[in-house]
Amino acid sequence: MADKIYRVNMSNLSFKIEEVPASWMGLGGRGLTSTIVAEEVDPECHPLGPNNKLVFAPGLLSGTSASNSGRNSCGAKSPLTGGIKESNVGGTSAAIMAKLGVKALIIEGLPKDAETFYQLHVTKDRVEFILVPELIGLDNYAVLEAMAAKYDKKVAVMSIGRIGEMRMNIANISVKDPGGKLRSHGRGGLGAVMGSKKIKCITVDAESYKEVTIENPDKFKEASKIFTKTLQENPISGQGLPAFGTNVLVNILNEAGGLPTHNFREGNWEHAEKICGETMAENIKARGGKTTHGCHAGCVIQCSQVYNDKDGNYLTSGFEYETIWALGAHLGIQDLDLIAKMDGLMDDLGVDSIETSVMLGLAVDAGILAYGDGARAYELLSHEIPTGTPLGRILGAGTHILGKAYGLVRVPTVKGQGIPAYEPRAVKGQGITYATTPMGADHTAGYAVATNILNSGGHIDPLKKEGQVELARNLQIASAAVDSTGMCIFVAFAALDDAKCLPSLIDMINARFGCALTIDDVMNLGKNILKKEHEFNIKAGFGKADDRLPEFMKYETLPPHNVTWDFTGEEIDAFWNF
Amino acid sequence: MRIILNAFSFLRDKLRLQGIAHIEAPMEITSPCDVHRLISLLGLKPEDVEAVFINRVIMPKETLLNENDRVALLPPGTPGSYRLMLGIKKV
Repeated sequence: MADKIYRVNMSNLSFKIEEVPASWMGLGGRGLTSTIVAEEVDPECHPLGPNNKLVFAPGLLSGTSASNSGRNSCGAKSPLTGGIKESNVGGTSAAIMAKLGVKALIIEGLPKDAETFYQLHVTKDRVEFILVPELIGLDNYAVLEAMAAKYDKKVAVMSIGRIGEMRMNIANISVKDPGGKLRSHGRGGLGAVMGSKKIKCITVDAESYKEVTIENPDKFKEASKIFTKTLQENPISGQGLPAFGTNVLVNILNEAGGLPTHNFREGNWEHAEKICGETMAENIKARGGKTTHGCHAGCVIQCSQVYNDKDGNYLTSGFEYETIWALGAHLGIQDLDLIAKMDGLMDDLGVDSIETSVMLGLAVDAGILAYGDGARAYELLSHEIPTGTPLGRILGAGTHILGKAYGLVRVPTVKGQGIPAYEPRAVKGQGITYATTPMGADHTAGYAVATNILNSGGHIDPLKKEGQVELARNLQIASAAVDSTGMCIFVAFAALDDAKCLPSLIDMINARFGCALTIDDVMNLGKNILKKEHEFNIKAGFGKADDRLPEFMKYETLPPHNVTWDFTGEEIDAFWNF
Repeated sequence: MRIILNAFSFLRDKLRLQGIAHIEAPMEITSPCDVHRLISLLGLKPEDVEAVFINRVIMPKETLLNENDRVALLPPGTPGSYRLMLGIKKV
């Protein structure tokens, strides 16, 4: 069966299964979700109102045996930024949707009864609307348990917790992973959009699907073998990430003077050793956790991990650098076990662990807690926010709103979204990405590298402006392209070093669909998607002034390099000259 | 002369096996000494070290070390975009 568009209308609880428009045929992942949002959502609509749409789309290779192809994309107009938002995730949903033949799931409208919550159950032929009063007020793991009791254990589950029900900006959409833990469509408050549509969870049937059709199986197998080898032989995806996870970056950024500390006041943290990837890996080994763990079936990078406490009890998985940084150097918590406990709690609550943790660091400036006060931070997270107290509501609105509510000047956000983990003044290329990406400050917007369009110009000096705009543009175009294939963005690391990686990825897409795309075609897709997202934001009311970093970074020097953010507006705006 | 040595990720196990301190560790070396020689003094292979921070800036391995320099050695394994953005790999 050819792939279809599944369209759900929550206003009248109806669904349609539609043919895929010709212009959407070659799109998947971010390429498809951003295209649908740009074409179908009024940029001026309220993100939580009836005219926003929540769109899910697996990648072009999801459901196949291609390594690292199990990312699912979610898009909507963001209640956090007010602009377009795409967030992709591992877990089991992408492969199951693809095998069921769901090219995209588009959810529109709002139910009339504001007191109800629904489960959407997607099967091959229909979408069921199931009232779930028993799930109201539950968090994600309880929802997973309820669905496991109801369906085959492989059923895909996408859910929100209490914070999503309350439509807070920090709410994410959580997705069941192969081990029964949680992954997140994290950034941009997409859980609040799902909550506004009164959807507690979406389940996708895992019993009636078929394997995806491959037009040229032999060529696919051949390309897949090459692609997998490039990932496994690369020192980053094959060794560094499996051993230390993304948290390998704590010591590196700290050494570079680019580890934002105490709400972006310094670039080093004296206690970095307590939270770094090397310490994390030692704890995991000593306590019977797992240093390698995949967020989706078919992952050969295995950058995730299972982190246990001193007694060997599970605390969290998918323990990422950005979250550890935010609760560590940014908020000052030195206890890695407590950080892990909070990370696990954020999974269950269904909140973006970056936005939430950046917000908690800013809460120190608001006088709500002190640096390093993990007990108070845990109380805010476990009580104030999920019970929706007045303080909890302000915190749950995210970093930008907290800054407004408390009259703060040093608010680390761009387009309303919290800046993660990489100091823009000391890693200036990252700063350009934070300023310009249509997503609001987002490190994953500039993660991949397209070597074929990279100008050869020597080493970049992270403290100087030269070459940074061009580099950030290249990174964002390549990231949009990789996101649109539906591959994990970490495949890009091998693409930087191994000339066989990217061509084999394109070969797999061509073999899957019987097409003849070139690398240039895919990079052009990245350019088009990026421009489409930018245009949506302009129509939503964004201007050049929104492509700027917080002003304090221009006049406060950052130790140890004593640098400021010194790009002019014209220099930043040149990013869009492509 | 004295330098302050740091080493990250896989290098730590390699140095630990030799009993070499590698976290904020003072180290005495004879001058002149560039990074290539330091790598050799530490019993590491040239390919074990992808890049070196000297006083918190990535520097060429030909750089001569000075008294009280802060030196941090990085093995291959830094995620790709940051290898470019921090100046570890040529653009």
